[in-house]
Order: sequence, then C-alpha cells, then structure tokens
Amino acid sequence: MKESIVIENLTKYYNKFLALNDLSLSIPANENVGLLGPNGAGKSTTLKILCGLIRASSGTAYIDGVNVAEKPEEALSRIGVIVETPEFYGFLTPEETLGYLGRLRGMGGDKLKQRIKEVIKLVRLEDWGKVKIEKFSRGMKQRLALAQTLLHDPPVLILDEPGLGLDPRGVVEFREIIEKAGKEKTIFFASHQLVEVSQVCTQVAIIDHGRLLAYDSIAELEKKYKSLEGAYLELTEVPLE
Amino acid sequence: MSEFEKLGIVIGYEFLKHIRRRRLYVILGLTLIAELAVLILVPVLGDGFPDNVMVMAALLSVGPSLAGIGAIFFAGDAIAGEFEGKTGFILFTNPVRRTTLVIGKYLACYGAVILLVILGYVIVTISLLAIYGSVPIETLSSFGLCMLYAGSILSVTFFFSAISKGAMGATVITLVFVMVISAIVDSVLMMTGQPHWFLLSTNGDSIATVYGGYEAFMGGLGGGGGMMPFELETPNVGLSVLSMVLYLGVGFSASIWITKRRQLA
Repeated sequence: MKESIVIENLTKYYNKFLALNDLSLSIPANENVGLLGPNGAGKSTTLKILCGLIRASSGTAYIDGVNVAEKPEEALSRIGVIVETPEFYGFLTPEETLGYLGRLRGMGGDKLKQRIKEVIKLVRLEDWGKVKIEKFSRGMKQRLALAQTLLHDPPVLILDEPGLGLDPRGVVEFREIIEKAGKEKTIFFASHQLVEVSQVCTQVAIIDHGRLLAYDSIAELEKKYKSLEGAYLELTEVPLE
Repeated sequence: MSEFEKLGIVIGYEFLKHIRRRRLYVILGLTLIAELAVLILVPVLGDGFPDNVMVMAALLSVGPSLAGIGAIFFAGDAIAGEFEGKTGFILFTNPVRRTTLVIGKYLACYGAVILLVILGYVIVTISLLAIYGSVPIETLSSFGLCMLYAGSILSVTFFFSAISKGAMGATVITLVFVMVISAIVDSVLMMTGQPHWFLLSTNGDSIATVYGGYEAFMGGLGGGGGMMPFELETPNVGLSVLSMVLYLGVGFSASIWITKRRQLA
C-alpha cells in the first residue's frame, strides 16, 4: 500500500532537550491516524518537521514519497496544515486571505472564487467573509484555518490540536467536516482529546518523551487495554529508561 | 507555477498590507509636517528665504529623507512578525520558497517607501518652482540618493527583523543603529578627522549635501563655514553610493539567508 507519510528515525534536539528520540512511523494513504501523547511528548515537533517549519537533528520525513527537507515546496504542495492556533493577517478578510493562499498554490480565476465560497460555507463563516480578521475570535480563526486547509483539496491533512478555541457546536461541526474529508484523504491528527481522535481516526500512535510507545488500530488497543483512555494512561505512565 | 509568479502575488498582498496600515499615513503626515516646517520656519526665523535655491533645496530634502527612514517602520515586522505573531504557521506551510517571500516583502515595503519619497520630491519641486521659479538639476541626484538610502535602510531593517524575536525589538534596534550609533560614530570620526563614508548617517547627509556641501549650506543660512570647532567634511557622493549599495546588498542577502534557516518552533 502506498504510504502518504513516512517518518524515519527522526531525532530533534532543542539545544540539549531531546524532543524526538529516533521516531519512526508510516501512515498509509487514506488512513486517518491520531497522534497522542502528554504535553511535551513531541507531537507538535513531529508535525512541524513534516510541514518544514523546523528541521530534524537527524532522520528523514517524507510526504507522498517526497523528502520534506530536500524538496519542501513539493512536499508542502501535497498537504493542508493546521499547526497550533494559527494567526492570520488582521488587515485581510477571510476571502482575501483564502485568495492569497489559493493563488500561492497555483489556483486562480473563477475556480478559486467558487472554491473560496465553498470552504467558507463549509466552516460556517458566510457572514464574515468580507470582514477583516482583526475582529475575529479565536474560534473563528480556527474555522478559517480549517477552510485554508481544505481550500486546495490536498490529499494529506496534518492537524495539530485543530479543535482548540472552538465552542461545543464548533467542535461537532469541525469533527463532521474532518470525518467527511477523511474518507478520501490521509489525516494525521494530533490531539489531547481522546474522544475526538477516536471519532475521526481508525488508528493511533502514542508517543512520550519523543519515542513511539504504540501504533495500532483503536480497536486493537481497546481490546488490549479495555479502552483507548486505558491504553493512553498505561502507556504514558511507564517510566522510560 | 513559477516562483516569479508567486513573487508577484506576494508583492501584491504585502503592498496591500502597507496601504491598509496606519503607519503609512503617519509617515506621510510626518513628511508633510517636515516640509511645512521648513517652508514656514525658514522665512519666519531667518531673513526670508535663502537667496540661493540650492540651500533651500537642501533644507527641503529633510522631508524625503524622513520618508526614507520611515522604511524602518514598514519593515520592522516584515520577518519577525511572522514568527512572533504566528502568521508564519499559515504562510510558511505554503509551497513557496522563503527567499521568494522575503524578496516579495522587501519589494512591497520599498514600493510603499518610494511612494512617500516621490511625494516628498514633488513637494520640493513645487515649492522651489513657486519660490525661485527654478529647480536645480541636483534634485535628480538627491532623489536617486534618497531612493538608495531608503533601500539600504530597508535592508538593515530586514536584517534586524530576521534576527529579532519580535517586531518591536527589530524596529527599535534598527532605529538605534541608524539614528544613534551611526550618528555618534559619525560625529566622533568627523571630529577626529577619520574617514566616515561607510556610516549610514553620513550617507543620509549626502541627500542634502549633493546641493553644494556643508560650507555652501551654512553660508547660505548666514552662519558661514567656521561655526564648528572642527571641519565639516562634505560626504563624497561616490563613496556614499558605494556604502549604501553595500548596506543594501549585505543586509538583504543576510536577511534572506537567516530567514531560510530560521525555525518556527
């Protein structure tokens, strides 16, 4: 089966702090995989390396077979990304922002205009499309972040805590959108919300101290540890050598 | 899609940023105030306008020079802001080279500054025509030097923006570097008779001294050339151009190099 994301022996140091410790992981195409771990486990670091925002100290990351460090633009053209709580230029409106990002990705003309309308409607920002983002709440920015992720219809979505800042309705709507998108895309989804992950993903990777502790289907983990929460708690409790 | 096409897109949206931000209009206001101050205070405090059109032209060049320095306020957040404000999480995850982004930001900033500089020289030209009925040909040299000065200030600001954690820090460091450190070293070197052509403050002075040097300038204001306890050495235009080209090239290249390597953790 074709692999959408391949992580090979990734190690990352922030000065002397070891954030990722020889992490390896492969995500097949069209799989939805959750990345779980406590604070500081290395989730965001892993995703940021995949997005070319930071460099690994050693190891390699591939998106659709493209080495992210060697050909970042080619790798980035295949993904849609939400990292942490992204900020947007306050002087632009959502329509202008999506126009800018869409054009940078080679979209244009009526197709882009139509697609912008679609994604704005999808994330329920129709009434805010022409309002400057400086007036937006955190949740609205998160909705816009999701819109820009889906704008160019990428085959791979990399999402880091994408539900942050959303109200309960927003969380449900967001989950529905991701679930729908996940039927035809690969999703790599870092979150602390086990319920959210179990509803969107079929498999999870659990990491701590930058090391992979488990990578299996949710069903298997539930069978082995009684529940996903049980698996998470038991695995992340084990002291590392 | 070529990087050149992407560059055009980046320039367009970055320029839109400058047009929509208040700071463009603040610098525009300051430029107009500076020109008005010269046009009002010189005849009121002195004995009318100077007889020599060159002296008045040199005095009026303060407005465009100020606009050049305004580049600091446009560019301070150009790179640091993407990291500090986390907008980089959106921008840098697009399939665009960071080199393209920095060049696009630079050209958009330069375009905004040049608009102000051109406006400043339009005021200079109209004022001189109204008062003297003529405009010295040196105004063209002054305009060219001011364009280069704005470009070099912009490059230095981009450099500090690339190495700074925050936009405010980058703006303050650049202001201190250009307005304080460079000016102090300039004064010390001038007083001790040492070469100082490589300092940005000296290069900025050449925008005005191209009209005839310090002596003609002081004489034209009725002060004579011997007011200072040391000799005022008029900046050499050729060396000033060389210096500004170096600041422009080195600062800009360094900002690209640093931004390409900078991580958004």
